[in-house]
Parts: sequence; structure tokens; C-alpha cells
Amino acid sequence: MNSKSDPHQWLSEHGDYLYRYAMSRLHNEELASDMLQETLLAGWKGFDKFAGQSSIRTWLVGILKHKIIDHIRKEIRNRNLTEAVENDPTSAYFNENGSWSEAPSAWKDNPEDLCQSEQFHAVLDSCISKLPEKQQIIFRMRDITGEDSETVCKSCDITSTHLHVLLHRARLALRKCLEWNWFGQGTRP
Amino acid sequence: MKHACKEISRLASNSLDRKLKLWEKVKFHVHLAMCSNCRNCDNSMKLIREASELIQKTKYGNIRLSNVQREKMHRTLKESTGG
Repeated sequence: MNSKSDPHQWLSEHGDYLYRYAMSRLHNEELASDMLQETLLAGWKGFDKFAGQSSIRTWLVGILKHKIIDHIRKEIRNRNLTEAVENDPTSAYFNENGSWSEAPSAWKDNPEDLCQSEQFHAVLDSCISKLPEKQQIIFRMRDITGEDSETVCKSCDITSTHLHVLLHRARLALRKCLEWNWFGQGTRP
Repeated sequence: MKHACKEISRLASNSLDRKLKLWEKVKFHVHLAMCSNCRNCDNSMKLIREASELIQKTKYGNIRLSNVQREKMHRTLKESTGG
């Protein structure tokens, strides 16, 4: 065995980093540590494929990333989460001529203050949980985790056009929900 | 209004995920200059993303493997790799 192929050392040196990467995408401690373990083993088994052009960490992140994409893809398939592009729900926010049926208000809060407010976290979470499931997954990956569009499309087995349609729906619905439950004048809890 | 707000909201969302084409950009910005409703919509979509990203960073920025998790993993690695 190549002396550099030492999964114990990888765990010591990169374990926390990889675990953080997995947790921020899976939000589940058990699942995240399972994925990390599988990654270290896959790295050990496939070490001859490591070309040495990137750092070990980058290489391991690549393996972990693929494992997470596979996991999410299976999850979506198993639960048969589909959403038709037809039946445009965004029509509800607009009049027939395409103007706003209810004018969006100006939101004055800044992201730093919102981040520090536990109350806002709760409202945001509850608004996200009201979205159709596939939109939730996509929105979380894209706007919360900051995953690139290509990865989101791969994980969810959708085209980029479909991704854009679903994100438009999700963001309009969230905007409306937050406007009512947080930013709306006089309704702040 | 020449370009319906619905279409502009689509461009506002798309602009967070892809580069708008030149003609889309022109349409988008000309409309935003005239329409405060769409400016508010555009800003709110950006604010949702910025706040969400910050929350995520705060939540997961400092987490670590627990000692129990780490030891368990070392054990499993030992069993699986024989080393």
C-alpha cells in the first residue's frame, strides 16, 4: 500500500472540514458521519486514481460531493417528488396584465441583523417548509448552501430551465410569506 | 407598463442563477428604473439569499466531529482497511 494512502491521517487532518461540508448539505449528524466514513474508505480503495494534481482534501471533497449528490438523487426518486412545469402558480401574485396584484414593500432590514434574530430563523424555516417539497430541496441547496446550479440540477435530475422555473416559484412564494409574517408593516411579532 | 412585472420577477430570480443575456439585462434594468414594486421584489430576493447564506455560515461554520464519532470512525477504518 502506498504510504500516503492513510485514511486515519485523512480523518485527523480533514475530518472536521469534510464533516462540515456534509453537515451543511445533509443537516443530519448520523448521515453526515456515514458519508464521511464512506468517503474515506472510497478514497483508500481508489487511491491509485488520485493523480496528485490536486490536494488530498480537494480530492476527498470531490468524492464526498458525488456521494451526497447520489444520496439526494435517490431520496428524490424514492419519494417520487415531481412537479409539473405547467399550472404556473406564480400567476397568483399578478393581475391579468402582468402587474403585481399586491405591491411588494421595501424591506429595510440588513442580512446581519436578520441572521442574529432567532425569531427570523423560525419564520424563514416555517416559510420554506410551506413550499412544495422539491422546491424546498432546490431552494435550500441553491440559496442556503450556495451550491452551484449544475450540482443542483444533477442532484435533482432536472434541466437548468426547470431549475430556473422552480426557483422563481420558490422565491416568489417565500417573498410573499416573509412579507406577511416578518417584513409586513405592523404585523411583526 | 411595457414589460409586465411578472416577467421582470422571473428575470430577478434568474439573475441569481445565471448571467442574463444582454437584451434581458437592458429590459430588466430599464423596468427597474421605472418600477419601485419590482425594485422591492429584486431587493427582497437578494436579501433572502444573503441572510440565508449568513445563517448557514453561522450554523455550520464551527461544527466539528465529536470524539465519539471520531473514535468510532477510526475503529471502522481499522476493521475495513486492516491497518
